[in-house]
Amino acid sequence: MSMLLPLLILLPLATALVVMLVPSASGRAARQISLWGTLATLLLALILAGQVVSSPGTGGSSGPVRPRIEFRGTWITFSWSDRGGEAAGREVGASEVGAREPAGSMPDREVRLEYYLGMDGISMLLVVLTALLTLSCVLVSWESIREQTSAFYACLLFLETGLLGAFCAFDVLLFYVFFEVTLIPLFFLIGIWGGPQRHFAAYKFFLYTLTGSLLTLVGLIALVLSAAGSDASLETPFSIPDLALRLSGEGALPPHVQLWIFLALSAGFVIKVPLFPFHTWLPLAHTEAPTAGSVILAGVLLKLGTYGFLRLCLPLLPDATWQLGVPLVATLSVIGIVYGALCSLAQQDIKKLVAYSSVSHLGFCMLGMFALNAEGISGSVLQMVNHGLSTGALFLLVGMVYDRYHTRMMNELGGLATQLPRLAALMVFMCLSSIGLPGLNGFVGELLSLIGMFKSQPLFAVVGATGIILGAWYLLTMLQRSFFGPLKIPQSHGPAAADINARELASVLPIALLCLWIGVYPKPVLDAIRPDVQAIARIYQDAGSAAPQTLMTQAQQPVVSHLEAE
Amino acid sequence: MDESQAVRSIVDSLRYVHPEVVLLLTACLQLLAAPFVGPRSGGSVRSLVAGLSVAALATAAWLWLNNSPPPLPGDWQGPFRLDELAWFIRGLTLASGIVLVLASWNQFAVDDTGECHACLLLILTGINLTAAANDLVGLFLALELVSIPTYVLLYCLRRTAAGQEAVLKYFLLSIFSSAVVLYGFSFLYGLAGTTNLEAIRAALLRSGDGPLPLIVAAALLAVVAGTSFRVTAVPFHFYAPDVFQGTHAAGAALLSIVPKLAGFVVLLRLVAVLPAGAGLTPGITLTEVLGLVLWWLAVITMTVGNVLALWQSNVRRLLAYSTVAHAGYLLVGLTVAQSHGGLAGGVEALLFYLVVYGFMTLGAFAVLIALGSAKRQIEAIDDLAGLARRNPGAALLLGLFLFSLTGLPPTAGFFGKFNLLVAAWSAGTPASQSLAVIMAVNAAIGAAYYLRIIAAMYLRPEPESPRIAKPELPALMGSLICAAATIALFVYPQWLWELVSRISA
Repeated sequence: MSMLLPLLILLPLATALVVMLVPSASGRAARQISLWGTLATLLLALILAGQVVSSPGTGGSSGPVRPRIEFRGTWITFSWSDRGGEAAGREVGASEVGAREPAGSMPDREVRLEYYLGMDGISMLLVVLTALLTLSCVLVSWESIREQTSAFYACLLFLETGLLGAFCAFDVLLFYVFFEVTLIPLFFLIGIWGGPQRHFAAYKFFLYTLTGSLLTLVGLIALVLSAAGSDASLETPFSIPDLALRLSGEGALPPHVQLWIFLALSAGFVIKVPLFPFHTWLPLAHTEAPTAGSVILAGVLLKLGTYGFLRLCLPLLPDATWQLGVPLVATLSVIGIVYGALCSLAQQDIKKLVAYSSVSHLGFCMLGMFALNAEGISGSVLQMVNHGLSTGALFLLVGMVYDRYHTRMMNELGGLATQLPRLAALMVFMCLSSIGLPGLNGFVGELLSLIGMFKSQPLFAVVGATGIILGAWYLLTMLQRSFFGPLKIPQSHGPAAADINARELASVLPIALLCLWIGVYPKPVLDAIRPDVQAIARIYQDAGSAAPQTLMTQAQQPVVSHLEAE
Repeated sequence: MDESQAVRSIVDSLRYVHPEVVLLLTACLQLLAAPFVGPRSGGSVRSLVAGLSVAALATAAWLWLNNSPPPLPGDWQGPFRLDELAWFIRGLTLASGIVLVLASWNQFAVDDTGECHACLLLILTGINLTAAANDLVGLFLALELVSIPTYVLLYCLRRTAAGQEAVLKYFLLSIFSSAVVLYGFSFLYGLAGTTNLEAIRAALLRSGDGPLPLIVAAALLAVVAGTSFRVTAVPFHFYAPDVFQGTHAAGAALLSIVPKLAGFVVLLRLVAVLPAGAGLTPGITLTEVLGLVLWWLAVITMTVGNVLALWQSNVRRLLAYSTVAHAGYLLVGLTVAQSHGGLAGGVEALLFYLVVYGFMTLGAFAVLIALGSAKRQIEAIDDLAGLARRNPGAALLLGLFLFSLTGLPPTAGFFGKFNLLVAAWSAGTPASQSLAVIMAVNAAIGAAYYLRIIAAMYLRPEPESPRIAKPELPALMGSLICAAATIALFVYPQWLWELVSRISA
């Protein structure tokens, strides 16, 4: 039991409540409190990360999902009765049993819904990413948010609470609760402090994602009830590790049940990721959101979808993942990679370009995950982090450009490198990281994802790889047009804009350094997630022999270890 | 049974209705005092009368808390049936009563204040007796004790032309629905030869070997139809939007919870009476018929309520459609009430949702009441524009209730919907599982119109001449109580869940 885990989630919440009480006029106090709050949260996240890394792998259970530190408390105790099936039969048949009489003598058992927080390598990475990006958001909004400052920071901190909670939740329903909670602050962030079309963007984002996630809720309920119904010894059917232990092996649900549950769960996740035909809310929301909103949205929030797939679909519904997930998700991912890249190529608005590039990059992430082998999944997790860092930083930088010139249109900007050399240098660096230049983080993640997919479904990997080329094309074009060449700034704008200042630098530099670190020396990160990734990949390794069409049975020569050896 | 025995039996029974006796006596006191309060009496009279109501409700609540129900024999045939359900509904009534009194503290005209508060107490008493009644006659009288003071209260609250139209509409349709219920009751009496619910059940069970006469189904459908008016189930909902819009916000608050409580108690009692699985004619059982009717009722009610709410611009009218939609969700619980399997039975989920619904919808109305003044109420959604800047506290409260009505965490509304979905899914039939999916889709539709109010409050600028008055303190208190409950029932739902589980056990 680690008390630090609930503290990690309550800390931003408490800070948010304090900030809310600060009168709106004194924006300074709100900023200061949020800064200290997010700093403390980051520190706590790092302490917890240290505990995760140093803890000895398996924490008791031996299933495919194994939190290394955990905190459990009871939320609701339900009494489960097995009379459900009989009741259905009773309606047709027996006539004597009154509704009020206790039907059947089956003893009721208690099943618990828990406040089950935990952390393994995967969630640890995403928690640190969340804490870091929120801190950057606080810094970057320092001067650009002038209205209702305390409300803004309160929303940002609420959002952080929801995200940290979702990544630390190891209870199905708790995960869903945090997953949903994030909608509320983000709705306000986009709707109040966003761009000209903010109302429509906020509406569309909220309703689109809510509709999907309500179907996810039905799927979760079906999952939990089927699991609890099929195994009488399961006392905690909401706990992801306990479910995974049973459902990944012998006790898997019948395949047709899995298929339906997979579809229902995916409804929420594919919208959040977003996969190809469900991405239409994304460009609008990203573009209209204030800088901090876009950073969190792209950097962390989209990962809720991929994380949901990884946490729930892969370990809990192995057959459906294999039969339906691989062809469906991989196809949509590949389409998304190419389509997103082509859309980026066509954009004038830099922010929209970055937004569409998210569709493309998240495609790599999903592609790697649905390779269902250790390389692919490692690459996918790494890609989640990488995308969070690179795209988060790109949005930060675009926001800084916008703060200076009040436009993001490529045809109105040019040669900014002469006026803002340091900002331009960072922009080039982050673009290269996003493109996947060897030596920077994007390369490792994309390479592992593609290698993983190449081993299981080569065709998808080949098509997907074109996305990297397209990525280089649109990002370099953007750099060339707006940062190099002759200076061009909007006419209405005054003389010279100041280059990046210390506060702005503080928001981007840690991210850039992390990008470099992961690119040069990814071993610690890969080490941290290896046991968790391998535990999931093992399900499909075993299942491989049962599924004839697979390429999984090929020897799992771990590419990961090659990289580590370097 | 000679005369003295009858008297003793009545006196004996009184023992079980202590809280109601307190409420009735207070109401009588208020009614007696009311003629002496004239239009020129000071405003402090209002606080005095309302304070009296709160004191009575608190006393009743204290009596309620210290009298948890003794276990009753399964075939209890007394006039009242003070089982767990009655006890539970009593608590819920008293809690919503306190909120209602706080919300309408200053809303009545000074010279009407005594009558109005007395009516409110009478209505609450009526619900308690409805929950406790174990006899068709008692049940009907209790239901009328709810209805008749409601007409008076609605009339006193708003004496404008629109208000009077609303009252008249409510009055006529309420009478009509009572008649339909009574018609159904008469069939039941004719079949069983007794008005006692338990005895009716026994009679129906006795004839259980052969098929029951079809008239049982007719009787039950008549009762369901009549009750549907109270719970605003489509197609018996059509009065609700007009009445909610026409009347004062306090009246709308009352109508949003009180008739639903009464209606669902009647429906629950009725479902419990049914001998499950008794055949009507070979091949069709009573439960199947009722299940089918309730299934369609639930689906149509929630869909119509949610879809029509999308086009509303008047807040109270919108919330009227929202209560229709929520009646649909509650009917989902009733539809699967016969199944007790899995994590949650329909009855538990229904009662849990009833509590949650009561707090969130009363809370929302209480905020609207607090923001309106006697002369200018909040009418259009546009009146709420920019509320977040003018009065952030009120906006936050209303936002909380609206998110709860949407069913989003971290509010109790989430657990309410979750339990209903679990109950529907646990029932295990394709019909009930499709009901769960339909309900989830409906919740998404519902989000759209709740979001419009929230967007008005937070995203839009203030209008030139804001309609919002200085908030009424007591009403704000009432909504604060509701807000606390809405959050508490999310963080710690165990307590309520145990209560509702005891009822259906």
